[in-house]
Amino acid sequence: MGEVFVLGAIAGGIYGLFAVATVLVYRGSGVLNFAQGEVGTLGLFLAVWLINDHGMPWVVGALAAVVVTTAIGVLFERFVVRKMGDAPRVSVAVATVGLLLFVLSGELVRVGASPKSLPGPFSGNGWRIAGVVVSPTQALSLVVALGVGVALATLLRRTDFGLGVLAAAQDPSAAQLVGVPVNRVSAFVWGAGAGLSTVACLLVAPGLGAFAPGALGRLFLFGLAAAIVGGLTSLPGAFVGGLVVGLVEASSGRIFAESSLPGVKTLAVFILLLVTLLVRPHGLFGTRESRHG
Amino acid sequence: MSEPVLEIEDVDAGFGASQILFGINLAVAQGEIAGVLGLNGAGKSVTMKVIAGLIPAWKGAVRLNGRDITGLAPEQRVGLGLGHVPQGRQVFPELTVEENLRLGAYTLRRRDKSRYAPSLAATWERFPKLYERRRQAAGTMSGGEQAALAVARALINEPTVVLVDEPSAGLAPLIVRDVFDTLKQVATTGVTMILVEQNVAAALQLVDTVTLLQTGTVAWHGPLAELDRSMLATRLGIGRMLGPSTAAAANKRAVKKKAVPEKKPAAKKAAPAKKVAAKKTVPQKAAATKKAAPRKRAT
Repeated sequence: MGEVFVLGAIAGGIYGLFAVATVLVYRGSGVLNFAQGEVGTLGLFLAVWLINDHGMPWVVGALAAVVVTTAIGVLFERFVVRKMGDAPRVSVAVATVGLLLFVLSGELVRVGASPKSLPGPFSGNGWRIAGVVVSPTQALSLVVALGVGVALATLLRRTDFGLGVLAAAQDPSAAQLVGVPVNRVSAFVWGAGAGLSTVACLLVAPGLGAFAPGALGRLFLFGLAAAIVGGLTSLPGAFVGGLVVGLVEASSGRIFAESSLPGVKTLAVFILLLVTLLVRPHGLFGTRESRHG
Repeated sequence: MSEPVLEIEDVDAGFGASQILFGINLAVAQGEIAGVLGLNGAGKSVTMKVIAGLIPAWKGAVRLNGRDITGLAPEQRVGLGLGHVPQGRQVFPELTVEENLRLGAYTLRRRDKSRYAPSLAATWERFPKLYERRRQAAGTMSGGEQAALAVARALINEPTVVLVDEPSAGLAPLIVRDVFDTLKQVATTGVTMILVEQNVAAALQLVDTVTLLQTGTVAWHGPLAELDRSMLATRLGIGRMLGPSTAAAANKRAVKKKAVPEKKPAAKKAAPAKKVAAKKTVPQKAAATKKAAPRKRAT
């Protein structure tokens, strides 16, 4: 049982990060950003290129990856999302699918379809907790997930800009009329969404072993499931949703360990998603009435 | 009249290809409560949106404190002294009362953070009920309290001009009275306001000047005391809504009173009605002076 909790918490932290990225953009723009996972993967390949091929320290490569993908998020907001101003939100979501395909084909052209791998920031064997070996990177991912949660909560509730982000999420036109620079808020959520997604990818990569373009799509989907379980509009809910998804995944993996059913973990997560949408469509922490419909 | 603090000059505007405003002019002096009245589709709300910067002026200029703000974004205009009490109040429902106010002071805090504390203190003094509820989520308050919060949120930024857009829209009559009481109280402190309102009777109790819009042009503009209410009633097609002080309503009542209990023959009915019509100017003038008298404000 302890094993399930440890595995669930480690995976859950990563899903929580993906979910937070999704929720930020959804709250800020009313759009599900389907490109998020692939933009994070692009950051991963950039880090591979800098760290493996050019021998840069992990931290430098990782930071560069986060900065570049954040910039991609900001540019996408500036030149696509903002231009679509009053367009239906579904159209903007379709535009993010366009970005997803664009990034994916860019990766295939530049790095090819053969898998790459990226070492973690630390070497070492890690620790044995409840029968599970926890690598230093996995431990770091939990710390980072917690840190990101606290930092975001502080930013959003304690600073004027953060309050502006929350206000713009609730009522963009009213936010503009009190003087909140809504364009900057929008740029922030798209940039932060892309950057956080890259952070999640960087932390999960060493545990995956090898990855090819598009391979992290499953993680993004689990993150999306976490966001929906958490309520899609709630940042704390995103983390709790991440943990729930992680635990469901880990426990289903254990329960069906002998049956060798392929894809049973994924199935379990999608059943969780389905049940959430049927029984409690506004999630654990979401508000019942969603303005974005 | 001193130099206007807000001025719209010869503005054309509209949505897409359809033009709604045709050469609108409006000047608001310091301390004035300017009422913009008109039928649905006359261009009231488009005028407000052009001032706010939410839709662009095709032609003409908008000036705030003598500065041309025609090309500025809405939030930049707020930074220069434009305040808003938006239609439907639009408080941030999930944020607390105090967070709503802090957002109201967004540009004030950016200009000079030290001015926020005294401005907040003044707000609490002016709206003690909001102070009691400062940690409550704004969405959980009553409609009237939310309206008060919307007004407070606009004032805390120390604006030069406040745009009040349809404050009574979607509110129960009792709450409308609360809202106008709040606005009246605010008006006595010398705040400059532009008020757009469907509820003409309520608006006329508050404003100093009236601008009557008709199909996108200014049909009449002048001080409240010079307003011919029967003209207004005809133009707005709302004779009965202007209350007992208006001639049209008084006339109708008189006719009814005489007609029903005395059961006069149809032929003689016309005579008393005419008599009343002749008296028409008396109650109207009285009302106008009565309204104008207590409004001596330092301007």
